[in-house]
Amino acid sequence: MSQTSATAAKPAAAPNSQDHGPSILGWILHNVVWIWLIALVVLFGMFNEYFFTTFNLQNIMVQATVLGMIGLAVALPLLVAEIDLSLPANLGFSSAIGAMAYSDLGLPWFLAMLIGVGVATLIGLFNGICITKLKMVSLIQTLSMMIILQGALLALTQGRTITNLPQGYVWIGQATIGGWPIMPVIFVVALIGMAILLKNTVLGRSIYAVGGNAVASNSAGIRVDRIKIITYTLAGALAGVAGFLLASWQMAITSNQGSSYLLYAIAAPIIGGVSVFGGRGNVVGVLGGVLLLTVIQVGLAIIAVPSFYVGIIGGVMIFIAVAIDAIRVRYFG
Amino acid sequence: MSVAAATETGQDPIILRVEKLTKHYGSTAALRDVSLGIRRGTIHGLLGENGAGKTTLVGIISGQRTPTSGSIYLDGQPIVNVDVKAMEKAGVFLVTQEPMIIDHITAAENLMLGIWPSSGGFVNWRKLKADAARMLQDTGIDPQSLAGKLDAVARRKLNILRAMFSGGKVIILDEPTAALTVEDRAQLFTFMKELKAQGVTFIFISHYNDEILEICDACSVLRDGALAGGTEDVGNLTSEQLSELVLGRGLVLFQRERRTYNEQRPAVRIRDVRGDGINVSALDLRPGEIVGFTGLPGAGAKELARMIFGLMPVRSGTIALGDSPVQPLPAAPRDAFDMGIAFLSDDRRRDGLVAQMTIGENISLSSLSAVARSGFLKPEAEKVLSDRYFKAMGIKASGPATVVDTLSGGNQQKVCLGRVLATGPRLLMLDEPTRGIDIGVKQDVLRIIDELSLTGVCVIIVSTDTDEIVRAVDRVCIFEAGAIREELSGDEITSERLRQGAKVTAGA
Repeated sequence: MSQTSATAAKPAAAPNSQDHGPSILGWILHNVVWIWLIALVVLFGMFNEYFFTTFNLQNIMVQATVLGMIGLAVALPLLVAEIDLSLPANLGFSSAIGAMAYSDLGLPWFLAMLIGVGVATLIGLFNGICITKLKMVSLIQTLSMMIILQGALLALTQGRTITNLPQGYVWIGQATIGGWPIMPVIFVVALIGMAILLKNTVLGRSIYAVGGNAVASNSAGIRVDRIKIITYTLAGALAGVAGFLLASWQMAITSNQGSSYLLYAIAAPIIGGVSVFGGRGNVVGVLGGVLLLTVIQVGLAIIAVPSFYVGIIGGVMIFIAVAIDAIRVRYFG
Repeated sequence: MSVAAATETGQDPIILRVEKLTKHYGSTAALRDVSLGIRRGTIHGLLGENGAGKTTLVGIISGQRTPTSGSIYLDGQPIVNVDVKAMEKAGVFLVTQEPMIIDHITAAENLMLGIWPSSGGFVNWRKLKADAARMLQDTGIDPQSLAGKLDAVARRKLNILRAMFSGGKVIILDEPTAALTVEDRAQLFTFMKELKAQGVTFIFISHYNDEILEICDACSVLRDGALAGGTEDVGNLTSEQLSELVLGRGLVLFQRERRTYNEQRPAVRIRDVRGDGINVSALDLRPGEIVGFTGLPGAGAKELARMIFGLMPVRSGTIALGDSPVQPLPAAPRDAFDMGIAFLSDDRRRDGLVAQMTIGENISLSSLSAVARSGFLKPEAEKVLSDRYFKAMGIKASGPATVVDTLSGGNQQKVCLGRVLATGPRLLMLDEPTRGIDIGVKQDVLRIIDELSLTGVCVIIVSTDTDEIVRAVDRVCIFEAGAIREELSGDEITSERLRQGAKVTAGA
């Protein structure tokens, strides 16, 4: 057949922009959390110069500590392609147990605090066992655990706020060195510890493998159930420490302590690039997500947005971050 | 419809023509200036190594990928704005390897999926059932049976029929014979020939020369993204010529001297394996022996291997490796690796690889404790291990840091093989080790297995590929109803005997 029609034919398709995607755009989208963070800092600073003061920087660091600890905790089950919604409730419940071990049992504050963290760890272990050995669906299992723990906290406190916390207990939340709070140091230590765990240990590698493909990991000789149980247990322990820090900082445990962290604690790692499908994400991303959310919260308070609008503006800012990230995944993998 | 008839009715004998198709991914060209024509009412074979561009080409023809440049003509008319909708409307359908079937609805509903006859949003069930019954009339498929209960060949047929019912004139079959037994394959080919007689045109992708020679009228061969050759009449071709076109050089078929092992003490002794539908009293392997497991799906070959590896539960069963004492079969894959037993699944995407990890990370995945001290990975030790198997397997990639997801099927299989070999097994079990990989890589894989067996490692190959069994093993166990029905060794292992064995089993 002769090719007379070839001249009349138009090219079948336009060049695909995706193929020649400029690497600059890719770089921007990969670091969108950090760029968005800097943009917001500049924006809030323009509205109110108080935003750039040392005092405010310290405020942001302290605020980011509790969210950061609970964000790291939430990231762990996400990395093995599961989820734990009960962590913020665990935070509140375990800190109340610790406080009551001091006030009702008369234990030294340090021991009481360890009991609180221990209880949080055991709750994490229990969640892990339910999800692996009983094959309960993590979303529903941890949702019910969240409701149980919130209810248990209310029952324990009888609706009252615990304020009779000892000096030693509240020290970490109040102490400063040269005017700088020391509580964020705990977060930095946790951050570095988890970075080493994920990058340099057999456990960390196994966590990514299980999250990436649990079936293949099992066939490759990784004890998948054990890895999942360990991540839930570690997450519980982190939530326990976060509970201690929050109580120490606020010098109080309310009857719904921790509940307000639920959505932010889940949003922070996801904004930071931790995949809800497992196997992807790192500690630096979680840090970015935590700082972004904290800056939005603090910034909106400082520029005196009427409280009726804080929710919607904060929500839209998070929405933009997530939307940009989705576009990145769509086009740059 | 014959070509002559088509010409009489004034139709173009070439139903589909592509002109100078080129596709770039970044700076690499997956397809370069490919031009070819498919004649109406023929079965057109498409061959090439893994990564030669077959998937890219049919992806473009079916509208799933956009070409960087080039044009497509259907019935002589150029097609602009190529996308899946436009191509399906024009009558071009792609039937992928994974049958797109929803298990918990009936065959009839699957057949009409997305094109359910309806009025005002309500499905016209009577018409649906009548249409489906008519379509499925001579296929042996019950329209009312749940799709999940259909066997592999029925599922393939259902997909092809759905494409036809949707107005398909050109149907692209991407490796439709993968995971089919010899009988199923014959049945599928008969079915394709019937449809061809009704005027349907097929593009048929396969790695197997004998399949191309058996069913195709014409064929095209891709190599490194370009058209390497082709013929309008496959009758003129021999299998050797086809291989040469595919590889760009003469194929050196892997040849192996079959060994006999009467004197030596067994290196692996397996006893009394009882589990779900499996009952095997005794199986011994001599040092360095390669044993084939074969049989119809469900006969027990695959299941026994999975039980020995701890992937399927057993009620009883012991294994003794070398001079080690008799132990119960491993309870989990980790225990199996620790005992010196390795297994590679036939489903590498689902059950072999962590796709988003690098080649190196996949290779070391089963040997992490060997490259770590007190739980901390030693990067140098891990690098030595992954580099070693990256080179030994001859993986084609820029380096062990390449993400596995981007590799072709054959190279992915080599990564899997590297991972299990890195554990230093004494018994290696491979389930369909060369399925879905091209003829060149297949020789590499068989060669690697043979070299390993020379070091004294016992190997079990689970395979339904008779050619592979004949060429690679010393002894073959034919499975039936969960037990070893017959063992062949030495000169008894021939394609004829194996096919006969399968037929006897099928008839029983």
